[in-house]
Amino acid sequence: MWDQVKQALDQSTTKFLTEIAHLLPGVVALVVALLISSVLAWILAIVVRRLLTSIHFDEQLNRWGFASLEEWSPMNSPTRLVSRTTAFLVVIAGFLIGIAAFDAESTSLLVRSVFAYIPNIVGAILVLLVGSLVASFLARSVLIGAVNLNLHYARLLSAGVKWLVIVLAVAMALEHLKIAPSIVDLAFGILFGGIVLTLVLAVALNSKELVTKSLDRNAKETPNENIEEPFRHV
Amino acid sequence: MEVDSIPQQTQEKAAQIDSADLVVGLFAGLNQQNISLLYEGLRALPGSLRIVVLQSDPAGNKATQNSLSAEGNSSLSVLPWSNVIPDLAGGPMQSISVACRSLFATTEKMGARGCCLVASEMEGEMPQWVCQLVQPLLESDFDLVVPYYAPRKLQGLLNNSIVYPLTRSLYGMQIHNPLGPDVGVSRRLAQKMLGNNRNANAGSSQSHPLASLTPAAVCDNLQICQVHVGARIYPPTDWVNMSSLLAQVLSPIFIEMERYAPCWQRTRGTVSFPARGEPVSPSQETGTLDMNRMVETFQLGVRDLQEIWGLVLPPATLFELKKLSRLATDQINMPDELWARIVYDFALAHRLRTINRDHLLLSMTPLYLTWVVSYARELDGAGATAVEKRIERLALAYEAVKPYFISRWRWPDRFNP
Repeated sequence: MWDQVKQALDQSTTKFLTEIAHLLPGVVALVVALLISSVLAWILAIVVRRLLTSIHFDEQLNRWGFASLEEWSPMNSPTRLVSRTTAFLVVIAGFLIGIAAFDAESTSLLVRSVFAYIPNIVGAILVLLVGSLVASFLARSVLIGAVNLNLHYARLLSAGVKWLVIVLAVAMALEHLKIAPSIVDLAFGILFGGIVLTLVLAVALNSKELVTKSLDRNAKETPNENIEEPFRHV
Repeated sequence: MEVDSIPQQTQEKAAQIDSADLVVGLFAGLNQQNISLLYEGLRALPGSLRIVVLQSDPAGNKATQNSLSAEGNSSLSVLPWSNVIPDLAGGPMQSISVACRSLFATTEKMGARGCCLVASEMEGEMPQWVCQLVQPLLESDFDLVVPYYAPRKLQGLLNNSIVYPLTRSLYGMQIHNPLGPDVGVSRRLAQKMLGNNRNANAGSSQSHPLASLTPAAVCDNLQICQVHVGARIYPPTDWVNMSSLLAQVLSPIFIEMERYAPCWQRTRGTVSFPARGEPVSPSQETGTLDMNRMVETFQLGVRDLQEIWGLVLPPATLFELKKLSRLATDQINMPDELWARIVYDFALAHRLRTINRDHLLLSMTPLYLTWVVSYARELDGAGATAVEKRIERLALAYEAVKPYFISRWRWPDRFNP
């Protein structure tokens, strides 16, 4: 009986060691892939950072209307955000390559589905970028136009327009990522409607005095035939 | 092709006329009596001239091609200027631009010695001032004849605050109304403008013929003449479209600044520029000054447009503006140096495309209105001579600040706000 136990132990040990030996190259490959991708990521991050610094990327972003990106960036530098994101993507790619080395059959499905998802991610990022650009542009247009028309709630209008466009862009991006599409649809409807309602309420109730003042002023400024405007500009 | 600028109907009628000595573009909406007076005045010009009048038809006056040579030395043919109307969708500047191109193209096509654009109505008699604009072209071979409208306190404010002092400080010539719009242009300059237009169309920026005239004439050492023409009747202010009008006027000026940068950077000081003819005393200005709206727009701008102005103006200027906005309405007074610096900073931001160019120029409106308030308050109750002195003082401020602008233009990174 002792022999049988010993034999069973030997078999299980052999099986375990065989499994380990079978896995070891994969683990080593994973570690090597991670190491190489980390080094590559580090180098790429430095290159990207220097490149962006040389073209004054942070200042350019400010000019393009992405000032809020600074708040989201490490050390308030969008350049660092971009370089670190690039490095992170390279490490993730290395990790996926390493995982694929374990067992081609079981992991290739995972890797394939991850890579198949990448176009969705890229599409969503593009939608967000364009949405953000459009939101900034429209917000500025509304702000300047409202100030020039002497509207006291210019900033409120501008912020409302900006958030409407951003909410629309985020909803489109989530739809693109196929993340809980039905919930996103519902949430978008509620949020979009909520923003419009908030704007209406803000103008109608909270900004009642502002609006009254504005309307009063406009009424006073209604061209009076007896009063001649003396200013001629062009 | 510049011939494309000529309306089809005008081309057909013009085909019956071989050549002309002078082409007059009648862009202003004149009544029939004034048009008749103008024709009489043109026919009375010395020399046997062949004059072609292009007549746009906003007032419904019939303009058919006919030769009018009843009295006077010159023959006069009237052609319809069909698609040139003062109220194009792009605004008045766009309409005048179309008219200028068409006028220059017709001048070149007919081999005329010069052309004249009549775009305004004046106080006083109609034909005299048009003839005054035309005569230096024909008699003394001048290339550009610009009007010197009788200065009025609260009229032509954009010209007084930016266009005149900026042009004077940059190009060194004291041309009081560099943008006309009533101008006399020689064939040589008209051809040059058509060439500029072709180049501008090939590139990205669209220039405006009126904004190009003075810089081109000064930088190419062409003969320029200034003529007293009386008091121009300005159109009433459209407050709703005020900011877009400001942008329409300033954008071509800033574009020309880029084009002629080597020329104006070399220019030092200004040349006094006597005007021909007798100065005319304008009639008394009437109306009630209400500056509260303009002050409120400025205060709103300081409160809400900081993020935009912060990209364009240096901190010291922003600080000055904040201080101004805290003053009581009747105490707001923008110093001339500050205003000149602001205009130069906006011109530079336009060149560098710091932000979208439309946004940039539209955001300048509250600052411009503040200058108008300061100026109007200062001249309240003053006479006509005080207006000229005040504008002269502003022009000197522009000249004093020009070295700052040249430094920023040459080394924009060193002076980043």
